[in-house]
Amino acid sequence: MSQRFGAALLALVGWLAAASAQEATVKPSFAPEAIEHFEKRVRPVLIEKCFDCHGPKQQKASLRLDSRQAVLKGSDTQIVVVPGQPEKSLLIEAIKQTGELKMPPKGKLSEEDIAAIEQWIRDGLAWPEDTPPADLEAARKHWAFQPVRVVHPPSGKSLEALANPIDAFILARLESEGLQPAPSADRRTLIRRLYFDLLGLPPEPDAIAAFLEDDDPAAYERLVDRLLASPHFGERWGRHWLDVARYANERGYVGVNVDRTYPFAYAYRDWVIRAFNEDRSYKDFILLQLAADQIVTGPDKRDLAAMGFLTVGRRFINNQQEIIDDRLDVTFRGFQGLTISCARCHDHKYDPIPTKDYYSLYGVFASSQEPDELPILEPVQRGPQTEAFERELRRLEEEKARFERENEAMKRERPREFSEKIKPFENRIKQLHATHPGAPPRGMVLLDAPKPTEPRVFIRGNARNPGPGVPRQFLEILSPQGRKPFTSGSGRLEMAQAIASESNPLTARVFVNRVWGHLFGRGLVRTPSDFGTRGEPPTHPELLDYLAARFMEEGWSPKRLIRLIVLSRTYQQSCEGDADGYRKDPENRLLSRMNRRRLELEPMRDAMLAVAGDLDPSFGGQAVDFLKNGRSTRRTIYGFIDRQNLPGMYRIFDFASPDTHSPKRYETTVPQQALFLMNSPFVIERARKLAARLDAEELTEPRLRIRRLYHLVYGRDPRSEEVDKALAFLEAAEADRSESQLSPWEQYAQVLLMSNEFVFVE
Amino acid sequence: MKQPVSTLEHLALTRRELLHRCGMGFGALMLGELLRMAGCLETAQASESTSRLNPLAPKQPHFPGKAKRVIHLFMNGGPSHVDTFDPKPKLAEYAGKTLPFENLKTERKTGAAFPSPFKFQKYGQSGIEVSELFHHTAQCIDDICVIRSMHADVPNHEPSLLLMNCGEARQIRPSVGSWVVYGLGTENQNLPGFIAMCPGGYPIQESQNWQAGFLPGVYQGTYIDTKHTTIEKLIENIKNHHLPLKQQRRQLDLLRQMNEEYQKRRQEDAQLEARLQSFELAFRMQMEASDAFDISKEPQAIRDMYGPGTQARQLLIARRLIERGVRFVQVWHGEGQPWDSHDDLEVNHRRLAQQCDRAIGALLRDLKQRGLLDETLVIWGGEFGRTPTVELPQPGANAGKVNGRDHNHWGFTMWLAGGGVKGGYVYGATDEFGFQAVENKVHVHDLHATILHLLGFDHEKFTYRYAGRDFRLTDVHGRVVKEILA
Repeated sequence: MSQRFGAALLALVGWLAAASAQEATVKPSFAPEAIEHFEKRVRPVLIEKCFDCHGPKQQKASLRLDSRQAVLKGSDTQIVVVPGQPEKSLLIEAIKQTGELKMPPKGKLSEEDIAAIEQWIRDGLAWPEDTPPADLEAARKHWAFQPVRVVHPPSGKSLEALANPIDAFILARLESEGLQPAPSADRRTLIRRLYFDLLGLPPEPDAIAAFLEDDDPAAYERLVDRLLASPHFGERWGRHWLDVARYANERGYVGVNVDRTYPFAYAYRDWVIRAFNEDRSYKDFILLQLAADQIVTGPDKRDLAAMGFLTVGRRFINNQQEIIDDRLDVTFRGFQGLTISCARCHDHKYDPIPTKDYYSLYGVFASSQEPDELPILEPVQRGPQTEAFERELRRLEEEKARFERENEAMKRERPREFSEKIKPFENRIKQLHATHPGAPPRGMVLLDAPKPTEPRVFIRGNARNPGPGVPRQFLEILSPQGRKPFTSGSGRLEMAQAIASESNPLTARVFVNRVWGHLFGRGLVRTPSDFGTRGEPPTHPELLDYLAARFMEEGWSPKRLIRLIVLSRTYQQSCEGDADGYRKDPENRLLSRMNRRRLELEPMRDAMLAVAGDLDPSFGGQAVDFLKNGRSTRRTIYGFIDRQNLPGMYRIFDFASPDTHSPKRYETTVPQQALFLMNSPFVIERARKLAARLDAEELTEPRLRIRRLYHLVYGRDPRSEEVDKALAFLEAAEADRSESQLSPWEQYAQVLLMSNEFVFVE
Repeated sequence: MKQPVSTLEHLALTRRELLHRCGMGFGALMLGELLRMAGCLETAQASESTSRLNPLAPKQPHFPGKAKRVIHLFMNGGPSHVDTFDPKPKLAEYAGKTLPFENLKTERKTGAAFPSPFKFQKYGQSGIEVSELFHHTAQCIDDICVIRSMHADVPNHEPSLLLMNCGEARQIRPSVGSWVVYGLGTENQNLPGFIAMCPGGYPIQESQNWQAGFLPGVYQGTYIDTKHTTIEKLIENIKNHHLPLKQQRRQLDLLRQMNEEYQKRRQEDAQLEARLQSFELAFRMQMEASDAFDISKEPQAIRDMYGPGTQARQLLIARRLIERGVRFVQVWHGEGQPWDSHDDLEVNHRRLAQQCDRAIGALLRDLKQRGLLDETLVIWGGEFGRTPTVELPQPGANAGKVNGRDHNHWGFTMWLAGGGVKGGYVYGATDEFGFQAVENKVHVHDLHATILHLLGFDHEKFTYRYAGRDFRLTDVHGRVVKEILA
């Protein structure tokens, strides 16, 4: 049954998709070679030689040549191209300059270019996608490019009593669709939900008991405030941001036998965690990650670590264009929900992002560089290891100095040999700075180059084929009328300011939507990193704007935003809605119930450590390689992330790919996940620790032990039939105990850790 | 309203969500089945919505493909085509002399013509010439389609490996195997759908060669170091060292009851059921996987046919995997870049070919005997070929020796067998010295388009939306080489 079901289901989805694809476009089809010819030989010529007068900006003689339709339409007086017949096409006469009309006016095209255009007409005017040119004025009408509106929550009789404006928006919509919200979840469910959503950890049984007993109406609110103030909050929400930032601890493949680690990536990770804990304004959060080098001026250099956002990406065997593209992509998908990389080779096909804008911003990063020596993030906090580090450093420096003293002659006479011989000494010092636990952290910064680059468009994205020059400036679609080029250095700070601005229609919306998505499982816009015309429109546009406006008004405070959302009744709903809601709104776009969510890798692993009682709660510091250091019980966020060879545990549990910006985690279910839970030394060890916890608490009576396990793992009492089943299992396991290296209780504890109730949050 | 086709960001309909959305009950399923059988549906592209329930479930391609599965024998480092499958007698004529045209630019400087030290002879009904290096493989030449006009973009390992594996030399893109498993799922849920085997460690560029790129991580190749022979070293977490199967079964029985009870108290949710099932699959996988990798279960005659050594073992494992329904198996010759014979080509190529030739021949015969070759596409080749001219000595590179060949992306040979290609057939040609593909040129993108075609996909319609774009394995390139289709 289930297999056939699956196949049929696929079929249905396919049918829906195919039907809609047909609706969308009816396009003439061209041979791939013809398209390739157009893209390689014709389009660049049109862009370079024709578009200035016959493109988006100007249409002399009402002629534009930037879409197939426009070319076919011709000028205001005549047809200029007859597909298939270059000899009858006015365009050819004009570019051959044989008749009266001579184009382009500034000079004749090369014979090759003319031949290419003739061939293109002979091919029937091949054009890959018949999309109309992205007309800026029309594009501005797209909802996401409209200014954030001031919206008031809907009012009405049933809505007046609502304390939280979010509920007014949600309820008004539900009512209009004739749907009911789900009842509030019970308090056990709520506290577990809050703990995982805000801290990524399960509530301790004591915390649950205290919350259940607290009948103050403000108990829930107090709980929220307590969790928001916990240092674990930053670890949970910082990790969400690290997905956006494609964070990893190494640079990817850059050759064999080359050290690939980023020794100071951890400083960025710790900065992000701290920023969430300290509730830094999101505006500063943006500015610092893009341009801390130009903001941090005082003696406290810790904020320089923020620039890891730009620099912890993959290095593509040090290919400069790819590195810059990666930085543009992470910045614009991350902060703006715009896929500007699409404009690297040609104007964006769907959004108003011309290639010129891409290279304007490319110029910003091309004008920024990494220093040879990364700055120390002063003031250095002296820790127990600091002295050991300084001792070791002195020793290595003395060694090096001694070598220099003893080889002064070589230094003078054979400088090349000397520099070769001194290298190991230098490397040892470098290595010490990078790896000693007492070494001060450094910031992975970018700095402005002494002389900024004047960017040029790379035609078809090919750096060897530079086209017209462009100024370094912000995207036109997000700029006020009369956009001005950046004036200060690379322009990176100005770019950051244009993003972190109240008048930017995307910045607040994109962030608010990400926060919503982390709390509900899905954003109001279900394409969190694509707010362009191909993304999905918001399910609740007014609510999105309300939240975005309020977020900005309240100082861009992430904690206030999260607080507002989790205090809503909408957030506190049960996952069990009424049947009507499932039928009318199966995807739960209208939120007539809460979404059930499976724990991601980090909260799952952390929760196992927590319930087993051996979570190491210490904060920050150099990354721990969990594979090499299997006994580490640090939180998962502190693990070493090897992007080149991402270990199985990360891959199978749908960890955010550290290769590029990750808008949302996948949620797959595969047997390798089950194998990890059944067989991995990590889980076996947790089962042992969990059982040992009962012994340490001197619980002997089996029923009490079962009850305690339920409290620890699920946060509730077992039902009597659950106790019976457990006892039966334990008895059977006792009978053949000699065959196994795990005690009955350890076996049983492992079952609890594998269960659905443990890994789903309701 | 726009209907999302396939994108991560749009995903996640549950089974019931979908049924409700369609406003249909069970009858709708039958309709879907009918439509699917009638071939009206592009199911491969649409599978995203259900992928989180079982992303590896078998799926239908765009049209029925002749090939159902793939074995890719990757001779990493770049085997020399003029010493294996592309004879160039003219080189002997020019031995030690400069070619009549300027040497094409490759990674390093090359000098005079370097005739092959190996003998070529005709094999099979087709009479295709193959060198002594692949004498055993050549016994199957009538099942092999030799493409002598392959070309790539640059003469360096890293970008060429990525191009061959992922269709793009630098950026993050899914590998061919990931695309195939994404599109077709896999037939055996107890084994990974895409397995990459390489003895002794990674090839250059490491696991990026079998990366899932922007596809979900489950489509990434599972790497197996075939230097090892014990199952737990081969597949992560495949064995429990603390519990015998009987006790583990008891655990899973309790787990099942608890999960069922949990479900019963809630409204239907497909992800709960999927997770419950995944434990049953995993339990079976422990047995099935051990069995698949245990070549001691093969009859002696078969093991003899493959011969001794690591290559023989991993090729025999490859056949056992394919036979069990694994979709895509990539078999790498070894760690690093073994075929990269900048020096001592004669000695090195002979040694390398000796390691694998017999087993490759055995694999082809074995597949054929079992009736598997028709539906299994076997691909042989490296990331590029080698120059017909000798590599000039360079400090730090080849220790002053003048007896090897440089990388050559201008022209090289790959061969395909089974899976719907013409056997005993040669397609394309290099120039008379073997430097550059000149006749019926086949770019790596064209090879990819052809592989997808053989599996039932239109490479231009087989897309995945990511970061606002519909990506293809072949990007904006690729031509199906129709001439080699059987």
